Amino acid sequence: MNNIIRTEHAAKSYTIGEITTTALKDVSMEIPQGSFTCIVGPSGHGKSTLMHLIGGLDRPSEGKVYIGDIEISRIPNNDLAVLRGKRVGFVFQFFNLLQGLTAIENIEIAMMLAGIPEHKQRVRAEELLAVVGLTEKAGSKPSQLSGGQQQRVAIARALANDPDILLMDEPTGNLDSVAEAEVLDLLQELHRQGKTVVIVTHSDEVAKRAERIIRVRDGLVAH
Amino acid sequence: MTPVKLVFKNISRRKGRLVFTLLGITIGIASFVTFMAMGGNLKREIHRETAALGANLLVIPKGSCGYEQLSILTGDQMPTNISAEEIASIRAIKGLTVVPFLAQQTAINNKPVTVSGVEPAATLAFKRWNVSQGAYFSSAEESGAVLGAVAARQFNLKPGEAITVRGEKLKVLGILEETGGRDDATLFLALPVAQRLFKSSDKVSYAAIRTEKLDQTEGYIEQIRVATGLGVVSDKQMLKSVLGIVGTVNITLQLIAAVAVLAAAFGIVNTMMAAAYERKREIGILQALGASQRMIFGLFILESGIYGVIGGVSGVITGLLAASAAAPYITQNAFTTLVKGSGNGSLLDPKIIAASILFSTVIAILAGIYPAWRAARLTPVEAISYE
Repeated sequence: MNNIIRTEHAAKSYTIGEITTTALKDVSMEIPQGSFTCIVGPSGHGKSTLMHLIGGLDRPSEGKVYIGDIEISRIPNNDLAVLRGKRVGFVFQFFNLLQGLTAIENIEIAMMLAGIPEHKQRVRAEELLAVVGLTEKAGSKPSQLSGGQQQRVAIARALANDPDILLMDEPTGNLDSVAEAEVLDLLQELHRQGKTVVIVTHSDEVAKRAERIIRVRDGLVAH
Repeated sequence: MTPVKLVFKNISRRKGRLVFTLLGITIGIASFVTFMAMGGNLKREIHRETAALGANLLVIPKGSCGYEQLSILTGDQMPTNISAEEIASIRAIKGLTVVPFLAQQTAINNKPVTVSGVEPAATLAFKRWNVSQGAYFSSAEESGAVLGAVAARQFNLKPGEAITVRGEKLKVLGILEETGGRDDATLFLALPVAQRLFKSSDKVSYAAIRTEKLDQTEGYIEQIRVATGLGVVSDKQMLKSVLGIVGTVNITLQLIAAVAVLAAAFGIVNTMMAAAYERKREIGILQALGASQRMIFGLFILESGIYGVIGGVSGVITGLLAASAAAPYITQNAFTTLVKGSGNGSLLDPKIIAASILFSTVIAILAGIYPAWRAARLTPVEAISYE
C-alpha cells in the first residue's frame, strides 16, 4: 500500500519572547493510503501539532512532510492553500462552522474556495447533506443545530472537494455517546469508500475503530 | 456561494457597525459632493454670466480689483463713481457701443434684490431682451420697474402692481422673458430714477462695451484709459480674474471636504481592523478549507470596496440633496451667490456623481489594504487556535 502521508525527521518548536518550546522532536512516520489511523497520546504532547503539519496548516521547523510525492513543507503558501483545499478535509473538535452561514452555505464555501461554479456547489452540497442525513437542516444556522448535527455538517464540508485525506482533531470530543457513535459510523463508511481517515483523539472508543495507532508522547512517535 | 455573497453576509452580520461606518463615509463624500457641486456650478455660472453680459470690455472704477469684477457678475452693490462726463468721453470713441449700469441692492418684503439702473433703449438693444408680460420702459426717464422673470416669481409680482423702493412707490411696468442669467433675478429701473433713489446723481457703477472690431480690443482699452483714466478690462481678463478668485475658494472647500473624506477613511481602517481581529478564527477556518493569502486579502479588500461604493452612493445622494437645499439660502455672499443659479437643476453633474463614487471606492480600498494585509498574513494555525 502507498503511503499518502509521510514525515521525515519532522520537528516543530515555537519561540515566544525568549522562551522556545519544542512541540515535536524528530518524528518520522507514514500513513498508508486508504487507512484508518488514530493519533493518540496525552494532552500537550504534540498530537495536534503533528496533525497541523501533515495537513499543511503549519510548517515544520526541521525535517520534511509529504502528501503523496509533494513535499508540502517547502511549497509556497498559496500552493499549499490550494493543496489543502483539494486533497485534505479537516474536521475540528469545536466544529468550526462559519456562524453567519447556513449548513448548506458552510459546505458550499469549501467548493467556492476550490473554484467550483455556484450552480454545481448547490447540487453537490445537497448530496453531501443527504449523505450525513441532514437534508432537512440545509437552511439552518449552526446555532440552530445540535453538536452532533454541527459535526456532521463539518464532515460534509470536509468531503466537499472529494479529498483523499480526512484529518480530524477530536471530532467526537464535544459529542454525547449517541452522536459519537453516529459520527464514527459515518467515518467508517467513508473509510470503506476509500478515504484515508486520520483522527487525533483521546477517546478509547474512537481508537478501537482504527486499523493503525500512532502514539505521540513527549513530542516523539512510538508506533 | 461567491466571494461577493460571502462578503455581503459578513457585512450584514454587524448592522450597527455597518451603519456607523457608512455614516462616516457618507458624511465625508456628501461634503465633498456638496462642495464640488457648488464649486462646479459656480464656474459654470461665471462662464454663463460673462457670456450673458454681452460685452467685450468693461469699464470699472479706477483701482478696482477682481472683487468688483465678480460683483458685476453677481449683481452685488458696487461703488458708483463713474461720471456722466466719463461715459460721454468713452462714447466719443468710434466703434464702441457703450451701456452704463448702476448696480445697487434694495429689499422687497425684507428679501434682498439686485437693482440695476439702465438706459432703457440702449440696454434693450444691447441685451436683446424680450418682454413676456406688460411693457418695457416707454421713455428714458419713466418712473417704474421692469422685473426679471425669477424676481417676478420670487416676489409674486405682476404688471400694474406696486413695489416700494427706498421709500418710493413704483409701478411694475413689465416682466422680461427668462434669460437663464443673473438678469432674471434683477429689478431694473430707468437710470435717472435709480440715480435719484440711490442718491448717485449723474454717476454709474460700470459700463459694458461692445466693440465693432474684435481684433482691436487692446487699442480700444488704451484709448478709453487715456480718455478717462478709468479701469478697463476685457471679458477674457475678467473671466480669468474672477475664476482665479473662485478657484481659490473652491480649493479651500475641497480641502475641507478632503479632510472629511480622510476621517471617513480612517473609520474604514478601524472597522476593517476590528473585523480582522474578530474574524481571526473564521480566517483560520477559511485557510484550512483552502483559502490562499491572496483570497483572504481579496475578501477584505472587497469588503472595504463595498463600504466605499455604498458610502459613495449614499454620500452623493446626501450631498446633492444638501447642495440643492442649501443653494437658495446662500445668496448673501458674493462668492456663493452664483451657486443659486436660476434653479435649473444643474447640480446633477454626472461627472461629479461618477467621480465621487469612484473616489469613495478608491479611498475605501486604500483604507482596507493594511487590515487586509494583517488578515492575510495570519498563519492558519494561529488563526484557527484563536479563542
